[in-house]
Amino acid sequence: MTDVAVAGNRTAWHERLGAGAPAVRRAPDVRRALQLALAAIWLLDGVLQYQGAMYVKGFTQMLGGTAAGNPGWIATPITWNANLVQHNLGLLNTIFATIQVLLGIGIAFRPTVKPALAASVAWSLGVWWFGEGLGGVLSGSASPLNGAPGAVIIYALIAVLLWPSNRAPSSPFVAGRAVGPHVARALWAVLWLSLAYFALTPANRAPQGVNGIISGMESGQPGWLAALIRGAASLTSGQGLTVSIVLAAALVAVAAGVYLPAPAAKSTLVLAIVVSAVIWVFAEAFGMILAGGATDPNSGLLLALLALCYWPLRAASVAPGQAGVDPATERTVA
Amino acid sequence: MPPAWVTDIFAALMLVVAAASAARLAVARPWQPGAVIPDTDIAHLLMGIAMAGMLASSLTTLSYGAWEVIFALLTVWFAYRVVRDARASGARALAGGHCAPHLVHSAAMLYMFLAVKTAGSGSGMAGMGGSAMQTLAYPTLAFIFALILIGYTAWDLDQLPGFRHSLAPAIALPDRLAVAVSVAGTSGGEAAAAGLSESGAGTTTGRTPPGYSAGTGQESAGGATASGRSGAAAVLLSPGTTVGCRIAMGVTMALMLFLMI
Repeated sequence: MTDVAVAGNRTAWHERLGAGAPAVRRAPDVRRALQLALAAIWLLDGVLQYQGAMYVKGFTQMLGGTAAGNPGWIATPITWNANLVQHNLGLLNTIFATIQVLLGIGIAFRPTVKPALAASVAWSLGVWWFGEGLGGVLSGSASPLNGAPGAVIIYALIAVLLWPSNRAPSSPFVAGRAVGPHVARALWAVLWLSLAYFALTPANRAPQGVNGIISGMESGQPGWLAALIRGAASLTSGQGLTVSIVLAAALVAVAAGVYLPAPAAKSTLVLAIVVSAVIWVFAEAFGMILAGGATDPNSGLLLALLALCYWPLRAASVAPGQAGVDPATERTVA
Repeated sequence: MPPAWVTDIFAALMLVVAAASAARLAVARPWQPGAVIPDTDIAHLLMGIAMAGMLASSLTTLSYGAWEVIFALLTVWFAYRVVRDARASGARALAGGHCAPHLVHSAAMLYMFLAVKTAGSGSGMAGMGGSAMQTLAYPTLAFIFALILIGYTAWDLDQLPGFRHSLAPAIALPDRLAVAVSVAGTSGGEAAAAGLSESGAGTTTGRTPPGYSAGTGQESAGGATASGRSGAAAVLLSPGTTVGCRIAMGVTMALMLFLMI
C-alpha cells in the first residue's frame, strides 16, 4: 500500500493522512510547548552528567555529603548509594547520564511522552533522595537560594502537572488540566510557602547567610558573571535578615497569587519568574554550568518553567483539550 | 574529561551519521543534471567526520585551519538560506525551517574550532576522552550554543513522528510545493509518479512537517531522483533520517560544548 502526501505549507502538517478536508488552524498547544521545555531541560541535565567532573571521586563525595544532617533512615541509603557509585563510577554515571538524556528524548518524542513523564517522576524521586538528600529539607540546610527543595523534585512536579490528560479541560491554566485547578493551586502554594519558610530559617537569616551562598558561586565563573555575583554579594553583605524577610514576603505573595483573579495572578507570576531569574543568575550562577562540573541547571530555571505552567490561558488556548483529545498523541497515526 | 570509551561511543555515533549522510548523497546522485543539491547531507557528512575527530584523536582527519574554512563556508551558506527563507515566510523560518538549525550547527562547529585554537595549545584537539583537557574561550557563547542546540533537538524530536509516514524524498517543484511519498511495503517509484499527479490536482493530504519539504525541498537528498527507489533507499532518503541525524548531532555537539567549558 502506498500513500501519497503533498505538502506545501504548514497547515498540511496538522492533517491526517487521507483526510482531504482543508486544514484547520489550531490554537497553539501550550502544554505541549511546556512539555518540550521540560524535555529540553532533561536533555541539558543528561548532557551535563557526562562531564568529566562526574567521573571523579569528588562526585561520589558530593553524593555522600548530602547525607549529613538527615535522619538515619534517610542518610543510610544515601551513604550506601554513594559507596555503590564510587565502586562503579564510570559505568553507573554513564548510565545515569544516558537515562536522563533518554527521559528528555522520550518526553519530546510524542509517542513516548506518557511513559517518559512517568519514568521522569520515578527517577526524580530517586535522585531527590539518593542524590540530593531530599534537598536539605530535613537537614536544615535548605534555602531557596541554593536550590531548595531540590531542583529534581521540581522536575517531578512539572511532569505531574503536564501529564497529557484532561481531567479538568476548562482549567484556567495548563497546570490544572491533569490534576484539576484546586490540586494544582495547592501544590503551588505548598512549594512557594515552603520556600518562604526556608528563607527565614536561622541559617539563612544570619547576617552573612545570604552573602555566603552568593559569594560561594563566584569561583570559576566568566568575568561578567563573577562581577555580577560580586556585586550581589556586596549588596547582601551583613544584610541576611533584611534579604530573608524581603525574599520571604515575595515568595508568600507568589504563593497566594494563583488564588487571585487573572490580572493579579499574572502579576504574581511575573514576580515568580523574576525571583526565579534572580535566584538562577545571582545565587545559583546558572547552576554553575559556566564554571564546569554542574550536574544540573539547578532550581531557578525550573521554578520559572513551573510559573509558566500556571499562566492564565486565553479561552482559545483551552480548545485543544476540551474535546477530550490527547494533545500528546493526537497526531499519531494508528 | 570523561573516560575515553564514553567519548568513543559518541564518536562512533557521529561516524554513523557521516556514513548515513554519505549514503544519502550516493543514492541521491546529486551530480546528475537537474538534481537538488543536498546541502544538509553535505553538512552532516562534514560535521560527522569533524566531530568524530574531535571526540577521538585516532579519527582526526583535516587540520584545524581546513575545518575552520569549511565551517565558515557552511555558516555563510546557511545564513544566506535562512535570510532567504525569512524573506519568504518571516520569523517562521527560524522556528520551523530547517536551515536555521543547520546554521546553528555550522556556527557552533566553527566556534569550537576557533575557540579551542585561541584558548589552547594551537595544536588541535587530541580527543576529548581520557586525560586531555580542552577548554573553550568565551564559555558563555558555548553555553548559549548548547542551549539553542538542545532546544532545536527537542523541537526536532517533537516533529519526528510525522516523518515515519513520509519515507521518501521531497521533490522540489516549480511552484515551491514539495511532494513527500509515504511508502508502506512497496517501492516508491509508482508513488512518486502518483504524487506528482495528485500535486497537479491540488490535493493536500500531507503529513510533512513545516519547513522540511516546503520551500526548496532540500531537506531530503535526491530530489527528482526518487523514482525506482527500493524500500531501504526510500527510508535512507526520507526526511526522518535527516532529522534523526540532526538530533544525534545536536545532542553530541551540546555534549562537546559542555565538555570544553
